[in-house]
Amino acid sequence: MEYLLHIGIMLCIYIILVLSTNLTVGMANLLTMCQAAFYGVGAYIGTYFLMHFNLPFVLIALIVMFATGLTSLVISYASVKLKGDYFILGTLGFQMIVYTILYNWVNVTRGPYGIPGIPSIKLFGVWSVTGIYAYFFFALVLAVSVALIFNQLQRSPYGRMLKAIRTDELSAQALGRNTVQLKAWAFFISAAFAGVAGLVYASYVSYIDPTSFTLDESIFIITALFIGGIGSRVWGPIVGAAVVVILPELLRFVGLPDAVAANLRQVIYGLALVVLMFLRPQGLLGDAKLK
Amino acid sequence: MLTQFLINGIITGILYSLLAIGFALVYNTTKLFHIVAAAIYVFAAYMFYLFAVTFGMPVLVAAIVAVVLTMGLSLLTDVSVYRPLKNRKASNNVAMIASIGMMTVIVNLIAMCFGNETKVIDNTIHRSFTLGSVIITSPQMWQLVAGGLVIAAFLVFIGMSSWGIRFRALSADSVLFETLGYNTANTRTFVFLMSGAFIALASCLTVYDIGLDPNMGMNVLINAMVAMIIGGVGRFGTCVLGGVTLGVLQALTVFQFSSNWQNAVTFVLLLILLFIRPQGIAGYKQRTV
Repeated sequence: MEYLLHIGIMLCIYIILVLSTNLTVGMANLLTMCQAAFYGVGAYIGTYFLMHFNLPFVLIALIVMFATGLTSLVISYASVKLKGDYFILGTLGFQMIVYTILYNWVNVTRGPYGIPGIPSIKLFGVWSVTGIYAYFFFALVLAVSVALIFNQLQRSPYGRMLKAIRTDELSAQALGRNTVQLKAWAFFISAAFAGVAGLVYASYVSYIDPTSFTLDESIFIITALFIGGIGSRVWGPIVGAAVVVILPELLRFVGLPDAVAANLRQVIYGLALVVLMFLRPQGLLGDAKLK
Repeated sequence: MLTQFLINGIITGILYSLLAIGFALVYNTTKLFHIVAAAIYVFAAYMFYLFAVTFGMPVLVAAIVAVVLTMGLSLLTDVSVYRPLKNRKASNNVAMIASIGMMTVIVNLIAMCFGNETKVIDNTIHRSFTLGSVIITSPQMWQLVAGGLVIAAFLVFIGMSSWGIRFRALSADSVLFETLGYNTANTRTFVFLMSGAFIALASCLTVYDIGLDPNMGMNVLINAMVAMIIGGVGRFGTCVLGGVTLGVLQALTVFQFSSNWQNAVTFVLLLILLFIRPQGIAGYKQRTV
């Protein structure tokens, strides 16, 4: 039962991550390869505040969101200056830079040694979230709230403007919308929520190291997003996160040796991506095609 | 001491140039972000391992077989995925995602067959040559000589031969190329075969020196992409310029700071270049970058 709860918690974390990626990819048509970088930055900043201060969760979450959002300004600037493939390359570069800094700046981040013993989240400064049942409930509430937030976001005027940018950016600009600012906000919000996911991950696993936030992780998040579906609907990312988190557990019943199972899982994801690009490029539940 | 680092940097740069040429051949002509090149790189390395170590063939023969097989794989990725997607009028981003999918599949299939651990081709201590104060190991000599000759041959090919001019024409304007009656499909086939050959050559030369593992492809490919951008986008010869520049800069970083930061230098340079001079040192200036 506890193992199922563990899967549930990871599912909630990935739902938040994939939802945040959907904001930039699905709603504003900006393919980013650096979501794991924001995830990592959020995790490390959250760890710093968790370990050195005794603040309630909401306050730490807000600080993490703000700080991670600030790091997204580099990417926002990149999206203005770079178009298409160059932007993807820029986000790739940003991802690798963040990873290299996390790995090598040993004085601050302890590099490959990682940071162990991260305390758990304190709700309202008093009740500490301990035990896997509490964490599962907390993660579930958080994931549902984030999903509701994104649902409201895409129905709001801001969401409509993002849809306009996705459909035809030039027309949106011609009609007087400040697309630069809109896209910058999209990145900010996307990075902020990825940071929150990092905070929850750090406090749940209570140990972080840079190897959880590599380019492979970014590609994994993108895979989950494309399998589930990009676009304005919230269900696409949720289904995508569910597929990539639950599928390896189902593979367990096939009874493969451990060494092969991890690779086979990746093969299935890769095949799913290729087949989906042929048959349904917007993903299973998506409603937006990539330009 | 500095000369030793510079020579090392130039030799690494030659390897980056070879991989950059392999990537640029596909990217310039088809505008596809050929991420699967990382998997092709890994495939070449493991084919080399299979024939040189498991089957015990002579290293040179194994390398040639690996190169031929990799050319086949490269063509297969085009024929099975890229061309059907192009026929369905899929956008380049969709092709890129499919490319990422293919890379995941190929790399993990290789890992399933051969294992995830690092392997070596040749564990013996190689002979080294001493020129003045600089020491060059035997694998490095192979990289320098074989890589250098192939690069020189490629520069002559792309500049002067009819197929080279066709490649350049296709990368300049693919619609006009087809309108003027050239066979785009055949040219594309040749592009992918040649790209596979270059990637395989870079792979075999590298893994003979430092060994192989299934996840090495992406890191090297990113360095090659940065090399291509530094040199200049749109042209083929500039990949060499970019590769050697990147190799030398990385070596100087190791000389001045430590080897941990050489990757960071690569990407900081990439970001600076993308913002300030996106056409690289000697590329074509494009209106919308």
